[in-house]
Amino acid sequence: MATTTQSSWHVLSRVGAGILGSYLFTWGFIALGATSLLAAGLEFHEATDLVSMLGLLIFLTAFCYAFIAASLARVWLVLAGGGALMTLAGWWLSRSLA
Amino acid sequence: MPDAVLLGAALLCTELGMGWLALAMDVHWKQLHAANPRSRVAARLRVLGGSALVASLAFCLAADSATMAVLVWMMLLAVSAVTIAFVLSIRPRLLAPLAAVGRLKPSSLP
Amino acid sequence: MFANFRLSLTWLHTWFGLVLGFVLMVAFFFGSMSVFDREIDRWSLPQTRIAAQPMPSFDQVLAARLAAMTAPDPDQLELAAGRVTQPLPARLKVTTWSAFTTHRDPVLDLFVGFKVPHSKVPDDQIFAEVTIDPRNGRVLPRDQLPLGSGFFYPMHFSLNITWHDIGYWIVGFAAMAMLAAIVSGIVMHRKIFREFFTFRPERNLLRSTLDLHNLTGVVALPFHFLWALSGLIIFAGIYFPVIDKMMHPLIEAHEREEATHTGLALGPSGRPGTLASVDAMMAAAKAHWASLSVPGEVGFLVVSHVGNSNAYVSIYRDSTDRVATAEGLHFDGTTGRVLFEDPPVGPVATVSGFLQGMHLQQFKHWTLRWLIFTGGLLSCVCIATGFIFFVEKRKRAHASAGHAGARWADALAVTTVTGMVVATLLVLVVNRALPEDLAQRDLWQKSAFWLAWLATLVHAAWRSTALREARMSKAWPEQCGAIALLAAAAVVLNAITTGDHLGRTLSAGYWPVAGVDLTLLVCAGVATVAARKLHRRARSCAVAAGSGAADLERESARA
Repeated sequence: MATTTQSSWHVLSRVGAGILGSYLFTWGFIALGATSLLAAGLEFHEATDLVSMLGLLIFLTAFCYAFIAASLARVWLVLAGGGALMTLAGWWLSRSLA
Repeated sequence: MPDAVLLGAALLCTELGMGWLALAMDVHWKQLHAANPRSRVAARLRVLGGSALVASLAFCLAADSATMAVLVWMMLLAVSAVTIAFVLSIRPRLLAPLAAVGRLKPSSLP
Repeated sequence: MFANFRLSLTWLHTWFGLVLGFVLMVAFFFGSMSVFDREIDRWSLPQTRIAAQPMPSFDQVLAARLAAMTAPDPDQLELAAGRVTQPLPARLKVTTWSAFTTHRDPVLDLFVGFKVPHSKVPDDQIFAEVTIDPRNGRVLPRDQLPLGSGFFYPMHFSLNITWHDIGYWIVGFAAMAMLAAIVSGIVMHRKIFREFFTFRPERNLLRSTLDLHNLTGVVALPFHFLWALSGLIIFAGIYFPVIDKMMHPLIEAHEREEATHTGLALGPSGRPGTLASVDAMMAAAKAHWASLSVPGEVGFLVVSHVGNSNAYVSIYRDSTDRVATAEGLHFDGTTGRVLFEDPPVGPVATVSGFLQGMHLQQFKHWTLRWLIFTGGLLSCVCIATGFIFFVEKRKRAHASAGHAGARWADALAVTTVTGMVVATLLVLVVNRALPEDLAQRDLWQKSAFWLAWLATLVHAAWRSTALREARMSKAWPEQCGAIALLAAAAVVLNAITTGDHLGRTLSAGYWPVAGVDLTLLVCAGVATVAARKLHRRARSCAVAAGSGAADLERESARA
């Protein structure tokens, strides 16, 4: 099936990016998304439930992206890096809300 | 009308609908006939099939509240598609009456 | 990862499908069993084979029973001791009393919540639970295992592995892998519309297996997707506790705001108070629902801040007529007047409520229930045919190269497909065979289940040596035979030990038990036919392997 054989390290890294990278990305999405919607005035449960449901679909997308994207380095950057940034932004925004 | 009758009608409609939609496809039409279906016959079968599926939804809505009806209908579609697939692989002749309806001339349809 | 995105998604589908498929078989099979969990409970606990009962009188029956529950479950207490910064007091304060029943329940579950002080977890509560006969308040003994709601149901969402909630995480990850398998499956299946009704059992095993895998995967696609997604939504708080862990002050601020707006106190007042007549509150709630043209029974009842002057009672309708669960009515505990009525929910909560309600199925609709059960079994067929396709495609190559991969995949497939059913039927047999008054009856049954499943793995591993010569493992037909025998034995034992044979249950119209017995008989029938066919195939496979069937190889290369 494969046209190129991937090294075990590459496969492991893809799987890692798919699982851990996507998890971090989703965590950040929920953190930033929930605080942004709350700041915009949405009711508490409406905001948190919406972001949580979308988060599951975001995880799915990130997971597939980790395997489809050509550059593994870019995958880690986008998922883990993006996730960390969104988490930080969400946490900072929540401080100003509480 | 009791719910059992309405849901029974809904199931019958999805079975017929799936059967007609299957027969509108060349590969399944050819399980009953020698040649491909004429394009008008195939189009008619698709209309019949689609209408039957819509009729099924109407029966489901008559039996239950909207959210429940949609769920029931979605599951009936799945079950009917599987049934028709098995009929096509084990006894395709059973669908001959459905094919016959598709071949009727327009003037003989109500 | 590979040259194009279709190849990458094929890799994902194959490998995550294989590994997580074993977990998904368990989730979907026991999920299907859970659709009829209450009915399986009635079968496994003959003393509860009575008609479904509405919520009984709180003042006469429940109040005394709840007041008598003064200590939490010892296992939960032990775990709590590991979470606190100071030693636990001898008696924990009672926080809530709750009662839960549905239109299918002859018995009632009572819960008492206890506050865990000085806990590292905010708002930490542990519980005591009893099941009672609502007609007389009699408590059912602790070691009576309701096989449906107490064993098969938790198996499907946590594999009954409770150590640090790891079972929830494994099933959750498997559910996500299912969603990815669906997406990747759609991408891989080029002729998705043309082959919508295609099933060619007359072709070779590889082709017909793939046909069946595609058929069951595609026609029930909305079902597979929605049930996996809704399951994840139900436990989203476990998987992504973002607000809880990182922004707890936001939750506290919201709770304070909500308490002022609803009039429902956040914490106990500390001053003692007596509970007014809860029966009167239930009657008022029922009258209110009737006035809104949604008459119904009380499904769920919670007393918050038990014993305090600011206690309040929340009453929820048993929502038999809709998918989402119903809103609640909250009464002042000491005066009995209405404090707050939950408003109709917003758009997001409507969607979330629909998806969760669809999954939890508390509605009254027997047709839909059977349809969902069938959907779950279709999912099992999809996953099982996935395994069979994986093995069949690699069997020959692995056999000639001396790899053990296909052999182990086959052994594990047998274990999770037929082996799991064998273990399930065995626990039903053991349930009837064990003496009624045996101590720790629940532990005996659970152990029998796991040992039986382990035995099927050993049997499958032994029989899979046939794959070394690219032949079919005899474990498949042999375990099908075991299924047929066990299913029949379960029905016979039920008749002998309880006297509720099909003649009696069908004429009395007691469908919970009749339904289980009838399903067991159908299962026995199907398994017998399958065993015969598979034995024949195993024999012809041995012949074909011996003569080196080249045409089979050609077919599999084309698939």
